[in-house]
Amino acid sequence: MLTVLQALALMALAYYALVNGVYLLFTAIAWRGITRHTRERAYSATAEAFSSPLTPPVSILLPAYNEEAGIVESVRSLLRLRYPELEIVVVNDGSTDGTIERLCEAFDLVPVRKALRDEIVTAPVRGAYASRRHPELSVVDKENGGKADSLNCGVNAARYPYVCAIDADAMLEEDALLHVAKPILDDPELVAATGGIVRIANGCTIEHGRVTAVGLPASKLGTFQVVEYFRAFLVGRVGWSRIGALLIISGAFGLFRRSLVEAVGGWATDTVGEDVELVVRLHRYLRDRDEDYRIEFVPDPVCWTEAPEDLVQLSRQRRRWQRGLVETLWRHRALCGNPRYGLLGLVAVPYFLIIELLGPVIQLVGYPFVIAAFALGAVSFPFLLAFLVMALLLGVLLSISALALEEFSFRRHSSNRDVARLLLFAVLENIGYRQLNDFWRLQALLDCARGHRQWGDMQRRGLGHAPREGVR
Amino acid sequence: MIRLLAWGAAGFASAGGLSVCVLAVRRLLLARSERRRKASESLLLPVALRFLDDEDGGVEHLSEEDAQALAPVLLRLGRNLRGVSRERIATFFERHRLVDQPIRQLASSRPWKRAAAAFSLGDMGSHSAIAALSKALDDADRDVRSAAARSLGLLGATDAVPRVVYAVVTRQIPRSVGGQALLAIGSAALPGLRELETATDAETRAFAVELVGLLGDASDDEHLLGRLRDTSAEVRAKAARALGRLGAEEGAAELIAALDDRIVFVRAAAAHALAAVGDPAAVPKLIRVARDDQFDAARAAAQAAARIDPVAVRDAAADTSAGIHLQEASDRLPVIG
Repeated sequence: MLTVLQALALMALAYYALVNGVYLLFTAIAWRGITRHTRERAYSATAEAFSSPLTPPVSILLPAYNEEAGIVESVRSLLRLRYPELEIVVVNDGSTDGTIERLCEAFDLVPVRKALRDEIVTAPVRGAYASRRHPELSVVDKENGGKADSLNCGVNAARYPYVCAIDADAMLEEDALLHVAKPILDDPELVAATGGIVRIANGCTIEHGRVTAVGLPASKLGTFQVVEYFRAFLVGRVGWSRIGALLIISGAFGLFRRSLVEAVGGWATDTVGEDVELVVRLHRYLRDRDEDYRIEFVPDPVCWTEAPEDLVQLSRQRRRWQRGLVETLWRHRALCGNPRYGLLGLVAVPYFLIIELLGPVIQLVGYPFVIAAFALGAVSFPFLLAFLVMALLLGVLLSISALALEEFSFRRHSSNRDVARLLLFAVLENIGYRQLNDFWRLQALLDCARGHRQWGDMQRRGLGHAPREGVR
Repeated sequence: MIRLLAWGAAGFASAGGLSVCVLAVRRLLLARSERRRKASESLLLPVALRFLDDEDGGVEHLSEEDAQALAPVLLRLGRNLRGVSRERIATFFERHRLVDQPIRQLASSRPWKRAAAAFSLGDMGSHSAIAALSKALDDADRDVRSAAARSLGLLGATDAVPRVVYAVVTRQIPRSVGGQALLAIGSAALPGLRELETATDAETRAFAVELVGLLGDASDDEHLLGRLRDTSAEVRAKAARALGRLGAEEGAAELIAALDDRIVFVRAAAAHALAAVGDPAAVPKLIRVARDDQFDAARAAAQAAARIDPVAVRDAAADTSAGIHLQEASDRLPVIG
């Protein structure tokens, strides 16, 4: 029995070393990537693309379901984007609140008949509107079919060769689209899709659909997520993008070649992880055809989004994300370990399977084993203590590294007090918050086993209201 | 094992602590340098603006150190300037020998330093950098080549046109960067581009035709009309767009004929061009295309027809068999005014 427990303890140790070794490696890759990117900004001439007639036009797709609280501010932020030629297509996904009414009032919409392609099948369209004040803005009103279905409807309505998917609760900075389009301008034949960084707007000062001062959420849960987003975007996505195996482009802000989205059949409507699933499908489609391509993450265009600040909403969101990952990995299981797909099949998919998907199971199951091993004397107290302290300190180091990456590159938080608070939360997130996330991810696996497929509602306050609700 | 774990913990704790210290110190230093930069800029900005407004403002007699401080302000301001003010900036950089350093940096072993140097030379506006920048078009690093092309464009280096075009078509630099550089050179780039309209490579022809459409004049209509019969659909579409941009009224008949092209995006491009040319004779054909053609061509034709003759589109859309594109174009008439 003791030998079994000791063997299990060793396996846990090996797993721990693997996971953190990978995290450390990615932190190093991300440092290199961000340093390079920061240098390149000095000579990228992105701003000059704004005045160039050679910059390809973009259709922005904004799916909206019961978004009356924030839809007007979101559209206003899009209308202010600095980009030579774009259109904004809001797709109302059968909202039961006043989303359409808010839009009609704010932008002087009038009903029009609208031609839609039939490339991708969607729920029936009820009507369309055009703005008398902003000719580049149109609204398609359709029956409820989910976010993916709305995006597909947006693709059918899009005029331009690139489509940019944006969440209705998101706000883009003025130059965000130019930045995220930069890889496409540089290599239009190669780049299939790009994604930008998503940051948390809670606690920021927002005026007329623009973040005018960057702040931190008042709640602990919100602040944990700020640190977590640094790790996810500045370390994870930069790292994966650098090695050419980026699996996730956030649903909140991604730019895609329209013809490719159409070729693969659009966003999948039968998964809650339609953003990750589409990217994996694009990889698969292009690699199956032996095409040269790149899917890139650009770390400096900023998309601000509203983060859930209560446990119920956050757990719903995290469980949904994990279910999406499970569904995608299962659907594309043929990629796992398949050398035909290069680093995608040999590294990225196995990583997401072993570390992101099974990690919570291994870690949460590991705790009772460790306690049992300790109780039965298979593991000594000094060993247990040393291991826990080392694990904690490594976690803290990784969190601080992500924060340091932000500070060495973009430095969006100007207040010293905010940075001190972020440092504190970078330490604290390793004591409870990460474990809580693991617990939700484990719950998501159980949801999948039970066949639970719902998206779950997200209660929006509307980004324009975020700072007023702060209590700092 | 316990000792190893303890050492690991100590190492991680030290690395974490060190990171926090570095962050704190760096933040303080950056805040201080930012304060200094702002203070210095508030002093130098009026000097720079006076200098650009044709008043010397004492710039001629600046010490080397002060000139170094003024340089970034002028670089930033100069990026959006043309004409005399830009020439004045170039003179400033030449007089204070500030062009020499980036030219030397073009030989740096670090690609990012070479790229940054090539980029800043364009903002400085000094023609003395053209030879070095032309050489930098052969650099091994793509970013350096791109920065050099962009700077050659800003400097109006007409001699570099064939080399920039070659760099674009051989994909040594992005098409957007090369195109923007040629657009910055302006009409002086046209002779070189016109020669390329008949290049053997279709991609080169398409690129040249697109830029001729952006830079050219009425004298280009004839060449472009010839390109409407090019073997490459991409070239035909670019030629149609170019004719539209140039408002080539005498090309309307050929553009109407291009509405029968076998490739849908060429037909769509022809419709867009006809909208710009505005020939009423095109309306019946445009309405027919809007009613019967594939999506992109039909949409473009409906919009074009609505722009040329709104009444005809409204009448056509009233017919129940008009099709959705004409109906949309008709409904959007009040929206587009």
